[in-house]
Amino acid sequence: MTASPFLPKSAPFSAEDIAALNNVVGRANDKQRSWLAGFLAGLDAAQSGTIAAAAPPKARIPLTILYGSESGNAEGLALKAKKIAQKQGFDAKVVDLGDIDAAALTKFTNVIVYTSTWGEGDPPQRAVDFHKSLMADTAPRLDKLNFAVLALGDTAYAQFCAAGIALDARLEALGAKRMADRIDLDLDFAKAANAWTDRTLEAFQPAGSTVVHVDFKSVPVTADDDEPAFTADSPLEAEVSALINLNGTGSTRETWHVELATSDAAFTYQPGDAIGVVPQNDPELAASLLDATGLSGQAALIKTLVQSRDITTLTRPIVTAYAKLTGRADVAQLADGDAFTRYAADRQLVDLFADHKEKLTSDQLIGLLRPLPGRLYSVASSPKAHEGEAHLLIGAVRWASHGRARKGVTSTYVADRRKVGDTAKLYVKPNRHFRLPTDASRPIIMIGAGTGVAPYRAFVEDRAEDGATGKSWLFFGERNYTNDFLYQLEWQDHLASKALSRLDLAFSRDQPAKIYVQHRLWERRDDVLGWIADGAHLYVCGDEKGMAKDVDAMLVKILGEGDTGLAKLAELRKAGRYQRDVY
Amino acid sequence: MSDTPARAKNEIIKENSHMLRGGIADGLSDMSTGALAEDDTVLLKFHGSYMQDDRDVRAERSKKKLEKAFTFMIRLRIPGGLVSPKQWIALDDIASIYANGTLRMTTRETFQYHGIIKSNLRTTMQAIDKACLDTLAACGDVNRNVMSTANPYLSKVHRAAYDLARDLSVHLLPRTGAYHEIWLDGEKTGEKTGEKVVEKAGEKAVEQAAPVKPAKDDVEPIYGPLYLPRKFKAVVAVPPDNDVDIYAHDLGYIAIVEHGDLVGYNVTVGGGMGMTHGERDTFPRTADPLGFCTPEHAIKVGETVMTVQRDWGNRAVRKHARLKYTIETHGIAAFRAEVEKRLGFALAPPRPFTFARTSDTIGWHQTPDKKWHLTLFVEAGRLKDRPGVTARSAIREIAEADLCQFVVSANQNLMLAAIAPKAKAKIEAILKAHGVSTAVPSGLRRNAMSCVALPTCGLALAEAERYLPTLVTALEDKLDEAGLANDDIVIRMTGCPNGCARPYLAEIGLVGRGPGLYNLYLGAAFDGSRLNKLVAQDVGHDKIIALLSPLFVRYATDRAPGERFGDFTIRIGAVKATTGGNQFHADIQLAG
Ligand code: SRM
Ligand SMILES: Cc1cc2nc3c(=O)[nH]c(=O)nc-3n(C[C@H](O)[C@H](O)[C@H](O)COP(=O)(O)OP(=O)(O)OC[C@H]3O[C@@H](n4cnc5c(N)ncnc54)[C@H](O)[C@@H]3O)c2cc1C
Ligand SMILES: Cc1cc2nc3c(=O)[nH]c(=O)nc-3n(C[C@H](O)[C@H](O)[C@H](O)COP(=O)(O)O)c2cc1C
Ligand code: SF4
Repeated sequence: MTASPFLPKSAPFSAEDIAALNNVVGRANDKQRSWLAGFLAGLDAAQSGTIAAAAPPKARIPLTILYGSESGNAEGLALKAKKIAQKQGFDAKVVDLGDIDAAALTKFTNVIVYTSTWGEGDPPQRAVDFHKSLMADTAPRLDKLNFAVLALGDTAYAQFCAAGIALDARLEALGAKRMADRIDLDLDFAKAANAWTDRTLEAFQPAGSTVVHVDFKSVPVTADDDEPAFTADSPLEAEVSALINLNGTGSTRETWHVELATSDAAFTYQPGDAIGVVPQNDPELAASLLDATGLSGQAALIKTLVQSRDITTLTRPIVTAYAKLTGRADVAQLADGDAFTRYAADRQLVDLFADHKEKLTSDQLIGLLRPLPGRLYSVASSPKAHEGEAHLLIGAVRWASHGRARKGVTSTYVADRRKVGDTAKLYVKPNRHFRLPTDASRPIIMIGAGTGVAPYRAFVEDRAEDGATGKSWLFFGERNYTNDFLYQLEWQDHLASKALSRLDLAFSRDQPAKIYVQHRLWERRDDVLGWIADGAHLYVCGDEKGMAKDVDAMLVKILGEGDTGLAKLAELRKAGRYQRDVY
Repeated sequence: MSDTPARAKNEIIKENSHMLRGGIADGLSDMSTGALAEDDTVLLKFHGSYMQDDRDVRAERSKKKLEKAFTFMIRLRIPGGLVSPKQWIALDDIASIYANGTLRMTTRETFQYHGIIKSNLRTTMQAIDKACLDTLAACGDVNRNVMSTANPYLSKVHRAAYDLARDLSVHLLPRTGAYHEIWLDGEKTGEKTGEKVVEKAGEKAVEQAAPVKPAKDDVEPIYGPLYLPRKFKAVVAVPPDNDVDIYAHDLGYIAIVEHGDLVGYNVTVGGGMGMTHGERDTFPRTADPLGFCTPEHAIKVGETVMTVQRDWGNRAVRKHARLKYTIETHGIAAFRAEVEKRLGFALAPPRPFTFARTSDTIGWHQTPDKKWHLTLFVEAGRLKDRPGVTARSAIREIAEADLCQFVVSANQNLMLAAIAPKAKAKIEAILKAHGVSTAVPSGLRRNAMSCVALPTCGLALAEAERYLPTLVTALEDKLDEAGLANDDIVIRMTGCPNGCARPYLAEIGLVGRGPGLYNLYLGAAFDGSRLNKLVAQDVGHDKIIALLSPLFVRYATDRAPGERFGDFTIRIGAVKATTGGNQFHADIQLAG
């Protein structure tokens, strides 16, 4: 006989209760019923305080969501995945690759990895050690492990998603079972990433599982898990209230101090966060792109290109697509291997089109172009010191190559085409991994060059507002003292008020011998070690290639020759006492 | 000094400076600012450096969250302006490595660097020391760089004049250890003996240098702990040349030559230029004759003149602290008496001599010893490379080829001295290759001199170095029309009344009052013996030309044979003659 949806009169309930229950259960669908089952089981478990007692339903499926992230994208995806997984009854936790090594993988059964790629095909900095241990011959077999990898990247880089790709291959090589195919995503990853997460979670669900386990243990939600109120897709329209090139006349630099009125109460940020700017392209460049594709003077099209398409970055996929579209063999050749790297080195889209002129339709052109990504800027102000404002420090990117004057999209959008009173579109990019110590009495050592000084202005302002007692020491580097000493008058005030305890400067072009921040660190190494011994937190911000790499190496050298230094720095990093915001 | 009236601020700074140390050393290591503490900048002058800031960019700086664009000017001490090829190469290197790429020859026969930032100050000083040169006492309340009529290689008398300049400069050097301590730390030069071997014009000579001594036993045998009330300037002239402008200085020696031999010097005292607009009790003054002395007494006499000024000079009001005011106050007779009393002998009466000019004779000149000498006209003394005319590189190339000695003249010109006959062609070739002309400029331009003024000089009220060439070009047209293109007329311009280009001894003097505005002075003597006088106030470019053009025309037609422009303007009543410093502000009649 088919099971009737109604409770028998014999059920151990009062008539009213039986009626009431029938009223609900009778109408319930399968999903609701199995939920109820889980609910009741969960209730028992919760009351008896032991999962073991929680039979008959199956134990929750353990799931470890790993992430390797530098600027927070992969981390954001991981935290989101955790929430969804928990709703679906996974026993999900999120782990930063920076906190484990390969050996830890043997303790997991199911892992989903979200990782970005940095530098030139490198893992995000905090995940470097994990990768080393995983790639090493000493890495453990992982035959019992199920995994899936989502790789974040940027097709502008030669080694697109290299870190994710390597990880995915290595896990398989070590015997782990791939539950879902890896996906490699470009800067516009959001939609595709969510879809992949859903697919992948399904793949980890054992077939025909009925009982949905309901978790009574509350999921701690830290502030940074919340989606910020303003995102790249729904940015804040903020008015530019100040726009000053901080470099003195005659400088070889052009660094803009930008003050934005962010009075919207929902727009919140902390020192250490980055703020995204949604740029617009240079209309002249858009026009020359149209000239090169036989689409000259289409106002509407120009508007689209200016506002929503990446019209500068020359990527391999675009070259390939353009070759297909035009059926040109010479373009096709450009797409492969070294040929592309060589051609793309210091060229942009306009070169591709101009060097290989073909008539395109506007749809074809749009089809080729990826969406225009925003750019991140380390916030240079403390909201406590500048209520309703956010300050950015933006270095104008300008260079020339192949007879063309080139301009960085966002930096020159701000420098050249924004005036005080105009608005700019902003979003917040929280960065949990570049934060002042919660203990305000901790000393901090801030190391940065050029625009890398931005977050330190925010740090020092913030500590000044809090009346923090911890000592602070800034190492700042630029080219020339007289014209490039960014925020000089403010640092002088902070020194006078003791908000800044110590300042060391390295100006590379003031004397024959180039002096950089790492040299100052070395000169002051005894005091640096002293501060570290006193519990100092170390911060490095700015250009990765130009500075951060060398500072990293110097810190290792200061902490102790070779491996000791490496180990000590890794320790500091794990303890959250060595944080970097590099780009 | 308890019973003295209120003392000038600088007196107190000196007294507390611990023999010119002050907080300079600490200030140098504070990198948060490109400046030094105000009091320390006063002391820094004694070490040969001035703190300045780029006045061209002052307006933008605070908006850009930057302090003023502080830099330092460094002035060398080069008695007689004589520099060897080796030294030249070193000086040229410093100009491009640490300074603004120019070598600035001053109106007192030395070099200045501009645009040196604080973090490079010590390194630059050490580079200068390596070249066996120094900057000690190039500025400050001490005896400054001593000038002598340019080019010791012209005759044995010129050589003697140069030696006196150098020996006097060395004799009157401060003895504090501060200079070596602050700048040459670790640098052991002269530690034991207080002497250092100095590479001078190809030969070796021994020069007394400030010995390195622990601060506590620093003593200033000549100056005492407070140094002088004000700067003190000495020069040596060899008639008929008065290139050093003998009457403009506190102490002057005029070489007296009889039967071809140097028999001694007429000593002059109490000259000076500086004054303040609108303060009639400040004025330029031509020096008085003090008497005649033999060569062996020259230094003793000079020291005594200086020490009387040390004791009699006004230490309460800096504006009246120069020797010229001391002598105005006490009278020359009393001053002479005091000097003779301290000397223990009387000075003989001055002997006859004649000066012909204050300017240099531009171009080639050969001496009986067959050696050649080339005087190069350097506009405003600023030696640099411009597109087409790479003068600085040319001179460097000549120095590297070791073809001559170098002499900076009191007119901001450069002399290439003691050139072997066979080297002459080489030098001409090098100059030609660098587009440097040896042609003689117009009579006005070759007699033109201007001070630095903007953008570095903190006291400038108007442009000078950057503007005079333009004005001269405009005036040249007028002189051409009048047919005076090649007549020597002395024109000098300064950006303020301090008188750094000695404008009050120019036949045409222009002194800055405000942006684009100058006071016009006329009637000085061509030989530098008479001051000029104010004829027009607050005049700009066009007005200056309008005022001078008619005078040029009349001068061309009405002048007596050999009559100089300055004398002419007096004869025709365009201006009254100034008979002495205290008459400078008297009988002024402003031109309509
Ligand atoms: C470089 C030079 C002018 C030039 O274009 O060559 C010069 C430049 C300055 N003189 Fe001078 N003086 C220079 C020769 C003179 C002369 C001419 C001379 O000595 O033959 C005079 C007039 C003679 C005299 O001393 O009376 C002169 C009278 C002054 C005065 C007024 C002194 C006075 O007692 O009235 C000042 C202001 C002061 O000392 O307070 C002054 C101050 C200055 C300063 C340092 C401005 C300052 O005090 O901040 C100028 C630096 C400007 C710069 O950016 O370089 N300079 N100064 C000359 C360097 C001489 C040297 O190598 O030692
Ligand atoms: C977390 C984070 C924080 C950041 N904080 C700051 C900050 O505080 N201040 C700041 O100024 N920037 C900061 N950046 C960098 C910033 O996001 C942008 O990358 C930078 O402003 C350039 O963007 P753009 O649109 O102006 O130039 P783009 O249009 O993106 O052009 C930049 C690209 O042009 C190419 N390029 C640049 N110069 C040359 C050259 N000389 N020759 C050949 N090719 C060249 C390179 O491919 C480069 O990637 C940060 C980046 C990150 C990720
Ligand atoms: C300095 C820098 C270097 C990068 N290098 C690469 C790279 O080599 N390959 C790649 O595919 N993406 C590269 N990217 C793009 C990042 O992987 C991409 O922005 C990703 O979304 C960042 O994710 P995260 O915030 O989790 O680190 C780079 C980005 C930056 C700012
Ligand atoms: S004369 Fe005045 S403006 Fe000219 S350099 Fe001397 S102090 Fe400066």
